[in-house]
Order: sequence, then C-alpha cells, then structure tokens
Amino acid sequence: MDLRSKGELRDALRAASERGTRVSIVGGGTHADRGNACEVDVELSTSGLDRVVAYDPAEMLAVVEAGMRVGDLRRILAEGGQEWPADATDAATVGGTIATAPSSPRRLRMGPIRDTVVEIELVTGDGRLVRSGARMVKSVAGFDVHRLATGSLGTLGAIVQVAVKVRPLPKARRVVRTSEGGLLAGRRVLEAVPLPSAVVATPERVEIALEGWPEEIEEQTAAIRRMTGDVEILEDEGVGGSEAVAGTTVVEVAVPPSKLEAVLEGELAWRALMGVGIAWVGLPDAGNRLSALRGRVAEAGGIAPVIRGPGGLGDAPVPALEVHRRLKAAFDPAGILAPGRFWGGL
Amino acid sequence: MPDLDAARGELEEALGADAVLSDPLALRLYARDASMVEGSAGLVVFPTSTDDVVACVRAAAAHGLDVVPRGSGTGLTGASTPIGDALVVVTSKMNRILQVRTEDRLAWVEPGLFNLDLGLALRGTGFTYMPDPSSQQVSSIGGNVATNAGGPHCLAYGVTSAHVLALDVVLCDGTMARVGSEGPEAAGYDLRGVIVGSEGTVGLVTAACVRLTPEPPAIRTMLMGFAKVEDCAATVSAIIAGGVVPAALEMMDQGIVRAVEAFAHAGYPTDDAAVLLVEVDGIASAVEAEAVEVEEAARTHGVGSIRVAESPEERALLWKGRKSAFGAIAQIAPHYHLHDCVVPRTKLVEVLTGVYAICRREGITVTNVFHAGDGNLHPLLSFDRGDPGVLERVLRSSEEIVRLCVDAGGSLSGEHGIGLEKRDFMPLVFTEDDLAAQACVRSAFDPSGRMNPQKVLPDGARCGDFAVAASATDATGVGDAAAAMPEGTWI
Repeated sequence: MDLRSKGELRDALRAASERGTRVSIVGGGTHADRGNACEVDVELSTSGLDRVVAYDPAEMLAVVEAGMRVGDLRRILAEGGQEWPADATDAATVGGTIATAPSSPRRLRMGPIRDTVVEIELVTGDGRLVRSGARMVKSVAGFDVHRLATGSLGTLGAIVQVAVKVRPLPKARRVVRTSEGGLLAGRRVLEAVPLPSAVVATPERVEIALEGWPEEIEEQTAAIRRMTGDVEILEDEGVGGSEAVAGTTVVEVAVPPSKLEAVLEGELAWRALMGVGIAWVGLPDAGNRLSALRGRVAEAGGIAPVIRGPGGLGDAPVPALEVHRRLKAAFDPAGILAPGRFWGGL
Repeated sequence: MPDLDAARGELEEALGADAVLSDPLALRLYARDASMVEGSAGLVVFPTSTDDVVACVRAAAAHGLDVVPRGSGTGLTGASTPIGDALVVVTSKMNRILQVRTEDRLAWVEPGLFNLDLGLALRGTGFTYMPDPSSQQVSSIGGNVATNAGGPHCLAYGVTSAHVLALDVVLCDGTMARVGSEGPEAAGYDLRGVIVGSEGTVGLVTAACVRLTPEPPAIRTMLMGFAKVEDCAATVSAIIAGGVVPAALEMMDQGIVRAVEAFAHAGYPTDDAAVLLVEVDGIASAVEAEAVEVEEAARTHGVGSIRVAESPEERALLWKGRKSAFGAIAQIAPHYHLHDCVVPRTKLVEVLTGVYAICRREGITVTNVFHAGDGNLHPLLSFDRGDPGVLERVLRSSEEIVRLCVDAGGSLSGEHGIGLEKRDFMPLVFTEDDLAAQACVRSAFDPSGRMNPQKVLPDGARCGDFAVAASATDATGVGDAAAAMPEGTWI
C-alpha cells in the first residue's frame, strides 16, 4: 500500500491496530534484510511522503519527509554545498536509513547516523503522531523518543518526518589505497595519518578516505607514503562500504576496535573500519560459519547482525529487556508492527 | 508516607553511618542545586560503589522515599532539587577513572568524576574527552550525562550524547543494566540515548563508558571585537555559510565582556559591543586555510580587532575569559538567573534584541554569553534578591524570554535541561500526545515513579493518556506527585 500523507498513514495504522493486521513499514526496501524474519499481512510504503519541509543551509539542518530518497536529498543538499554523511545508497529512503541505522564507511570521522538525527515525527502502531527532539543542532527537552526510533527497524512506529544535521561538502576528497592489507597494516595507517575520514582494512589492502582542504589531503597523503611507499590514488572518490563485500551473506560485526583481530580470525572476505570496530564480513551462507563468527563476536562483547541475506540479528543478550517490552507495549500496543523483527523477539 | 527513620537505619547499616547525613544543616545544603528552586531533602547519602547505589535504591523503595541523584549540584534547572523529603544520592565520592583504553578509544569513569579531571588524566595520551561545559572544573560526568551537557566545542564535536558509548545503570527496582556497548552498536533500542539527558529520572548511572577523540594536531584561537552586535552575528552566519565549521564559535556582549575583563584580565576589548571567540582545529594546513576564511568573513562584516593566540598560554587566557563568565558576574549583582534557549542561528540578532527589550522594560540587568554557532543563547539576568519586587520581575522576564525563543522556532533548552524550572513550559513545544509518549518512555524505565519524580514533564502528562492498551497505565505518578509540590517551592 502506497501512502501519500501522514494522515493516511495514521488512518492505516489505526485500522491495522484495531483489526490486528500485521504491518511492515517499507521505505526503499534497500535494507530489508536487516532484522529477524517476520511474517506480516501488509506492507505500508512511506515513499510517497517525499517533500522537503525546510532546508536553509545556514542552519545546517534539513527537515524532510521520511520517504524522500537518499539520492534526492543528496542532490538537494549539494545545491546548498552540504551533505548528510549517512552514505546510504541513493535508492534508500531517509526514514528507512534512520530506522535501520547502517554504518557509514566514514563513521570514524562522521560518527554514527544517530548523532545526526535531531527530530523525528513518528506514527505509532495505534496511529498517534508523536514528535520528539527539536529542529536545532542541540536541544535537551524531554525524553528522546527519536533516539528509540533510530535503529528500531520500524517496530515502534513509522518514521514520517525527520530533521537531520548536515555538514559542508568537503572541498576535495581522495581515496588512497595501499598495496599491503590486513588489520595490522590498517592499525599502522590509523596511527600514522592524522584525522582521516576512514581507514578501511581488507585482506588485500588498506583504503584511506581523505577529505577537506586540498593542502591537508596532500599532508595526509604524504604521511601515508612515508609509511608504505607504494600507493594508488583515486581522486574525488569516496570509500566503499558494505556493498563492496562479496558474499551471499554479509554480517555487520560491531566490537570494540581492539577485538577485530580476534573476531576476524580465519575469515576471508571482509572490510573493517579501523578505529570504529565495525567489520563487514562476507560468508557463503548463513550456516556454521555464521554461528562460529557470532560465537567469537559474543566473546568480544559485540553483536553480529546479518545485513545481506538471511540470518537475522543473532541472539546477543538484550539488556533491560523488561524496559524494551514496556516500550514496545506503549508504542505498538496491538503488537502489529513487524512482530519479531527486532532484538529480543520484539 | 516515607519512613525516614527506617530508611536511615537500613542505609547506615549498608553504607556505614558516615555515608548518611540527616542533620538539619546537611538537609538544608542538599535541598537545592544551582537553580533558584528550593526543595526539601529527607536523607543525604554518599555511596562509594555500585553496591551502595543498589542499596540506596532498594532502601528508598522499601521505605517509600523518592530518589534524587545528584552530582556536583551545579545544575541550573532544579533537576537535582529534592521534593518532599526525598533521598538525595550524591555521587561525588564515586569519582574514579576505572579504565582508559586508547586502543578502543574509550574510558570507563564513575559518575562523580569532574569533567576537567578526565581531561587532565588523558593528557599525553593523544586523546581527549571533547564535551567541555563551562562548569567543567566542578561539574561531574554523571551530571553532564544527565543533562546531555554541551559546551563551546560541541559545535564541531557534538553534545555529550555523541561521546557516551555505554552506561551502567541501577534501575528503580535495584537491578543493574549495561546499556549501549563498548563497541559501536548494541543490541536493542537505544536506551543509552534516552538515559543521556533524562535528568536522573529513569535510573542512577554508576559508571559511564565515554568516547575518546584524537587530539587535533593544530589549533588556532581568535578573539574578534565588533562595534555592532549585528555585525558579530552576521560574521557567525558568514563563517558557516562559507562551509567552515569551527571547533567553537562563542559570542559575548559588552556587559559580560566588561565583567569578565575585570575578573580574568584576558585582554578582551571592553569598548566593543560584542566579541567573538573563534577556534579552528585540525591538520595544520587546514587550520591555516580556515583561519583565513574566518578572518575574511569577519572583515567583510566590519570587525574592529582580531587577536590571534600566539601560544598555548595565550589560548588558555582567552578561554579563561569565556569560561569564567559566570564567576565574573557576581560583580554586577549578588544573584543571577541564567537562561538557556536554542534558536535558529539565523534568528540570533532578532532574539537578542528582544531579550534586551524585555529586560529593559522590567528594569533587570542582562548580559549575554552564548554558543553562537549552535544558536544557543544564555541570557544572564543579574539582580539582588533584597530589592522589593525584583523576583517577580525576574520571573516575568524569564517567561517572556522563553516565549520569545519558542516563537522564533527555538527549543526550551540547549544544554541545561528542563528540571523543575521549565517543565511547565513543555506544552509550548510539545503536544499532549508528544508528552504522553514521553511519559510512556519514562514509565517504561521506572514504573514505580520514584526516580526523581516531578521533573521534566509537566502536570498531567501521563502515559495512560497515550496508550490505554499499554501495561503500565497508572505507573508514572507524575501528575499527582507534581501537584503536591510544597508551598514555598518557587521557580
């Protein structure tokens, strides 16, 4: 079902709650593999909600409806000389990106998506419109429902509008590739190069994303050359994310950065964000190798949800599960929103 | 009715007699924070461990006491002011740094640790803890977490929430939970993100895992003087419009500059209508390039003087001027009321002009120091409580300032929080459904309604109004308890 307005979405969810119709909120469908498999009766698409509500580059904020495509937002912001550093694919929606909270490969410098989300309008499972946060770069006013909605995989409500912090587009950017791969090489780059946007280690090479003023990029590149010599330079390129990992199953490992060696032991296809602790690991299927990887990740105190292919979120323990249950009951009292998709069976 | 004697006996047994205070002087001291709101403490306890905190929460539950967490008591909104003989849990003796792990870019600290002491301990590691509220010499990390504290460097680096990875919390039933993760993502909803900024209403933080940031290799600090406030504000906009996001962008008006200069002797220009403190940081060549852009923006908008800090000592002196603003204003009058509102950056001048007009009409001295880059205003109303009728005028001015900011599209608070002082303004910016949803979040954490009640949410905001089918309908206790605020509590 394609919806054109917040009102239609509210009516649809209210009706679904009354009838017990199970609903999945869908944006661009690009992050559909995130979350546990769940059965629903109907999909509600937010992609008709795609207006710009407010954008003034001077405020460094963009307020848009949740169904706006990330590619459209990218173009609009570029006209103002700015970007939303989420690095999601163009076909994704802004709301879907926030609901699934994928990591940008530039997370080292840009931080997680959640730090860019300052206001959310959410339609709850029973059709209420709730706004949380403020259209300000900072605000402490009340309990932050928007924090809960970010990364909630659509299980607390449908995100219908958001305000996100944006930043100036870099004046220049460059990717430098070294010829030596591995985590140790990645670690050496991280220590030697000041303020890179990303240091992505793979088994074959290390890819370093540099951006900013041309002269600082030269300074950073010189630092890389001093330690490795042989490098490949790609001008005006961005660094690849999880899409660059081969495998029918891709896992997004999240562990303290020093634990990457322990969890990637024996893996063949991966991209690791040095200094962040994210590693995308490609596997041939969701079988024993996934279980083994998850075992190592659990030991390292992390999580390992599958983001491409089947396999779900995994069985990492959820802290304060009772609090989670009460939140779910309050925001989705009829339990119709993608039941079971979230952690803890929520 | 709370049974204070029984609670005291139980707590003395668990924590030791020295850790529990109930003499009239102590109760008076802990009956307020740095706001103007006075409450009443039933007992004051000083836990030294997580087990102690659990014992506090259990004793409070068993004997009918509300629990009010308190760090250094520097809060400006009454969030740690106890109401109705509550148990005040002071974290100042839990002030250890538990771990520093630069390889994981994190540190575990106890909540009573002073913000600045963490910064000092990190010297020489190449990393730092970025949030730097002006109160950092005395404010605690736990208090910073409770208010999602900001500070000058949050413009480029984000507020406290962006620097908290995980929290160990004791919930209302005495159970422990670790929310968030030492790693970049955690299982479950972002409870961490809710607890940061919840003003002690959902649980007691016993340890915080904070994110460490690499120290920038180069820093340049500039102090600029402007003959016109409008030119200063226009420079702020021009810098941002030019695609430069400085590490800090702080504006001070003439009143505050004069007070600061007499106190800090930092060499601030006292004849100018406004000064701008700008700091850019990063790689040396980028700092150079950004400084040029910043200076150009200032020259385009009629800057009178530009002073660049030539040494770390001079930089420290320039920052001393900014960060001692609130110490300096004691010269103006013995009492002050400090505001905290955020407005769109483009509305700064309009709102500032309005603030001056309001205070002139009410005959109140106002000075302004604010995080201009964030649009975060801090009008500072100075007065002498002894003057007849002055409190009414201060309160009337304050309310008008809040309305002015909200009408300009702003928020109630940028970094100090809501507490008691602003909770009744919440309906200005949120609908009933918004507030009911917030009440649900609160009661999901604290169905007992015993954790720092009466704070943040206004009378009548109940989860039960929101989702009748939800399980915890009557559990908040917010509305009724708030109605019972004692006489003499004034805001």
